[in-house]
Amino acid sequence: MTERYPGYDVLSKRWSASWNAQTRRVIDARLAVPREPRFFSAAEWRTLNAVCDRIMPQPTDRPAVPLAAYVDQKMAEDLQDGYRYAELPPQGEAWQRGLQALDAEALEAHGDRFDTLAPTVQDALLTLMQQGSMTGAAWAGMPPKLFFAHRILPDITHAYYAHPISWNEIGFGGPASPRGYVRMGLDRRDPWEAVEAKPGDEAAARRKNQNVR
Amino acid sequence: MSRATAVATSGLAVLGAVALVLGERSNTAPQIRSNPIDPGAAVRAARRMNRAAGIIAASVLADSAVEHYRGSFHNKAMVAPLVTSLLSLAVSIHGHTDKRPVAHWVRDTVYAAAALTGLAGTGFHIFNVTKKPGGFSWQNLFYQAPIGAPAALTLSGAMGFLAERVRDTPPGTSPTIAGLPAGPAVALATSLGLMGTVGEAGLLHFRGAYHDPFMYLPVTVPPLAAALIGAAAIGQTHRRRPWTRFWLRATAVLGFAGSGFHAIGIARNMGGWRNWTQNLLNGPPLPAPPSFTGLALVGLAALGLMEDHPDD
Amino acid sequence: MSGDPFAAPRAVDGRAPDVFKEGGWIPMRQYGEDEIVDFVVVGTGAGGGPLIHGLAEGGFSVVGFDAGPYFRPLEEFASDEQAQNNLYWTDERIVDGANPLTMGGKNSGKAVGGSTVHFAMVSLRFRPEWFKSRSLLGYGADWPLDWREMWTYYGKAERALSISGPVSYPWGPKRPRYPYRSHELNGAAELLARGAEAMGIGWTATPLATVSAPHGQSPPCVYRGFCRFGCSTNAKQSQLVTFIPRAIAAGAEIRDLAMVGQVEMGPDGRATGVHYIREGRWRFQRARNVVVAGYAIETPRLLLASATATFPDGLANGSGLVGRNLMTQSNQAVFGVMEQEVRWNKGPPSLAITEHWNYDDRKDFAGGYCWMAQGPLPVEWVTVQTGARGLWGQALRDEMMKYNHQVGLKMVGEMLPDERNRVTLADETDQYGLRIARVTYSWGDNDKALIQHALGQMQTSLEAVGATDIFRQEDDTNHLAGTARMGFDRANSVVNSDCRSWDIPNLWVCDGSIFPTTGGVNPSLTITAIAMRTADRIKALAACGEL
Repeated sequence: MTERYPGYDVLSKRWSASWNAQTRRVIDARLAVPREPRFFSAAEWRTLNAVCDRIMPQPTDRPAVPLAAYVDQKMAEDLQDGYRYAELPPQGEAWQRGLQALDAEALEAHGDRFDTLAPTVQDALLTLMQQGSMTGAAWAGMPPKLFFAHRILPDITHAYYAHPISWNEIGFGGPASPRGYVRMGLDRRDPWEAVEAKPGDEAAARRKNQNVR
Repeated sequence: MSRATAVATSGLAVLGAVALVLGERSNTAPQIRSNPIDPGAAVRAARRMNRAAGIIAASVLADSAVEHYRGSFHNKAMVAPLVTSLLSLAVSIHGHTDKRPVAHWVRDTVYAAAALTGLAGTGFHIFNVTKKPGGFSWQNLFYQAPIGAPAALTLSGAMGFLAERVRDTPPGTSPTIAGLPAGPAVALATSLGLMGTVGEAGLLHFRGAYHDPFMYLPVTVPPLAAALIGAAAIGQTHRRRPWTRFWLRATAVLGFAGSGFHAIGIARNMGGWRNWTQNLLNGPPLPAPPSFTGLALVGLAALGLMEDHPDD
Repeated sequence: MSGDPFAAPRAVDGRAPDVFKEGGWIPMRQYGEDEIVDFVVVGTGAGGGPLIHGLAEGGFSVVGFDAGPYFRPLEEFASDEQAQNNLYWTDERIVDGANPLTMGGKNSGKAVGGSTVHFAMVSLRFRPEWFKSRSLLGYGADWPLDWREMWTYYGKAERALSISGPVSYPWGPKRPRYPYRSHELNGAAELLARGAEAMGIGWTATPLATVSAPHGQSPPCVYRGFCRFGCSTNAKQSQLVTFIPRAIAAGAEIRDLAMVGQVEMGPDGRATGVHYIREGRWRFQRARNVVVAGYAIETPRLLLASATATFPDGLANGSGLVGRNLMTQSNQAVFGVMEQEVRWNKGPPSLAITEHWNYDDRKDFAGGYCWMAQGPLPVEWVTVQTGARGLWGQALRDEMMKYNHQVGLKMVGEMLPDERNRVTLADETDQYGLRIARVTYSWGDNDKALIQHALGQMQTSLEAVGATDIFRQEDDTNHLAGTARMGFDRANSVVNSDCRSWDIPNLWVCDGSIFPTTGGVNPSLTITAIAMRTADRIKALAACGEL
């Protein structure tokens, strides 16, 4: 699919009045997430990566957001949400059990681990989990539906949309301090915001986006 | 207040005072002459009015450029005030250097165009305000197109046009405008112009909640000057009016000091001057206050006219 | 000089951070633990902050405790959703019931300044009749407060917080002009206004606790849109930049990173002080009075956890109502896509609001609601897309691409008190060794009817402005209240109209827990107004020896 905001890069505003020192520190740390797992086992890591690829499929023509690394970081550093559904164990344990249970389901239904299956098959399994139609013993009482809704979906999608690459994709203005926004009305854009490419107009939009600062 | 902006304020105020003095240099002897009519007086007054119109035009040029840039020139017509105020500024400079006692058709045309563009602008701005939800509401008066701003362009054009009429005085007669004595006519126009500008400044300072006591200056000093010059317009022409002159001069200085205060306001906003791409647009408008200066100078020119031609 | 606000307490050595000056400090009086201070206040948020200030100004010795850190907004608030989760109460709570609540950033802050550090600054007054909901409107419970007295305190709260609001407010009795003028509407707010006009109902610019012009050391709002993630401009008038610095100037002490775990009771049935953990060590502060202001979860948690042999059901719990009647507010929304670019993240989330259904009683359900414009940032927005629509995969990415064209209306709706909705202590313990809270919640039939009515109205509004791809977020709640309710007698409430507990004369509760009903507006202004009143009441009681 054609880019909606061609050439737009939030990081190009890094030294502009839209970013401050603390924001640079925080985004730098985000971009420097350890790529090797510290929490998940090798098997869980493989499954997690496969799950991330299905929950947030990414284009291959640009750097990928290392989603599994962010999920691993959340578990390794125990960055909590502040509440836990009574039927779910704490997040780390939930993830481990859920990934193992998913592999067990894959083995049971298709004779192989989750990460080896075709994408459509993987999607079908995840859909079953989302609907709560998985009943394997490996779940050990943790409702698959809740695990999907309250761990898989938020942990992976939050990791994606907390990354500058996703902000470029959706044309989000990104960090904004000390400079905020001036033109707040409908169909009004500040020069430091992304330009949306109208059909047939991608080249002009790209040029303008490359000058955004 | 940072040192830089304090210096800027004082500098602007000094600049304003200097402009004032220069503007009035030719008015050396404020005594009433009952005879004979000074043939050069009309031209001097007219050139003063050209300068004043030029100051207003410069203010409008900068202000409308910034504000219409902020409005993304979403309507092509938004370049009109930039063009006409630039031309108005140019012919005002020309008028300032021109000592001939004859109106110039180019100046006349440009001034008339500026006045009309300002009127059209007022119409556009009213439309802009009323088409937003809530129509003619405080919310829209605060944040949509400023209703009173195009009037400054109209005033620049009108004052320039009046300058040409004053200049165009047959030798040995007193300047008239449409048959009326020019001095009182220009004085009245000044009074109305000042009150309109007071309204606009007062509205926007109300939006700013008068958070700084100095924000009361443009709604106290200029109204006083407007009242005095208005009284002069309808009163006896042979009187000396030192208080009117004083408060008009104070208004003129205030115009430049206002830009200094607005610079302080910009510096005080988040990110200060470093965040200029936001604060020049969101902050108090730097070029707006000198329209008070221009109007006050017109008023002083009118006073001069009335004192030079007291029997009218 | 930067440091980590979580590493070690900052309000020590006779000084506290100056939130208006990078690296700066303000002098702060400190009290010894063996000193008996007049008041200990647990929590420094919408209720604790004004009370600490009012008491200090009144000449009392006050120590305010907060489990959270003392942030420096200018240097430490990053423009980043994820990183700024550090403003929230992320310690574990267990949620259950038919409709388990979302906690964290939806309603729970952990910082000096409490939840006002992250709130959306919406500052609304109660409809006067709500103070007599049962007598006048036939539902809920009456408050032992007179709306006319509250009207005065609302005015004081609005002035203290420099609320920026419309020149005239469309609903309710006359109120004094807001200290600052309302903010400019962004595109999202304009769409709310157009929708309301099409429906023939009123709307207004939202009164917000962020300044529209310079105020003191606060510059005006720059419309960056990260309000709920900490205002790095300091335009937002949170407790951290208003009442807390004023309280310190008046002689109060604030102790950050100080989690109070237990209120100690003496043999005479009076509280004697609080046990708290700071820098890894349990300590005790002696006090003549203890005020619990930890909001609707932590307040009952502390009261229950402080149970003794004499008070086996927890402190101030003769009525059995501590932790009960937990109320949240419905926060459902309707979203759509516009042809125009809306870019709703520019500016505070809720620049326009309609309170029509708070004042129009032609409804076949009890209670009221308002709705306001929305401007979620990307992570919050994807939470809605996944939570409300179950989207994932390419379908989710495709939907998210429409970000700059989205428009939304979100309600704040009254939910009725039900004793079965409650906060109790679970057996699990947290990092301090304290039993964590279990939050049990189920919506009632009235709640559901109100929600459906609101969703229908909000959908109509979006349709009226030409939005497409409209969908509903059917499950969302936010603010909390009710777990230490205020009332007329000790059998049916926990505290009296002075926020003083019936059972223990020197134990007070001053936060949203005291609400008998929750109303259809955001609670923070009401909490602050009550706190300011409570400070005055305490001064009056002290003056006639009734303390």
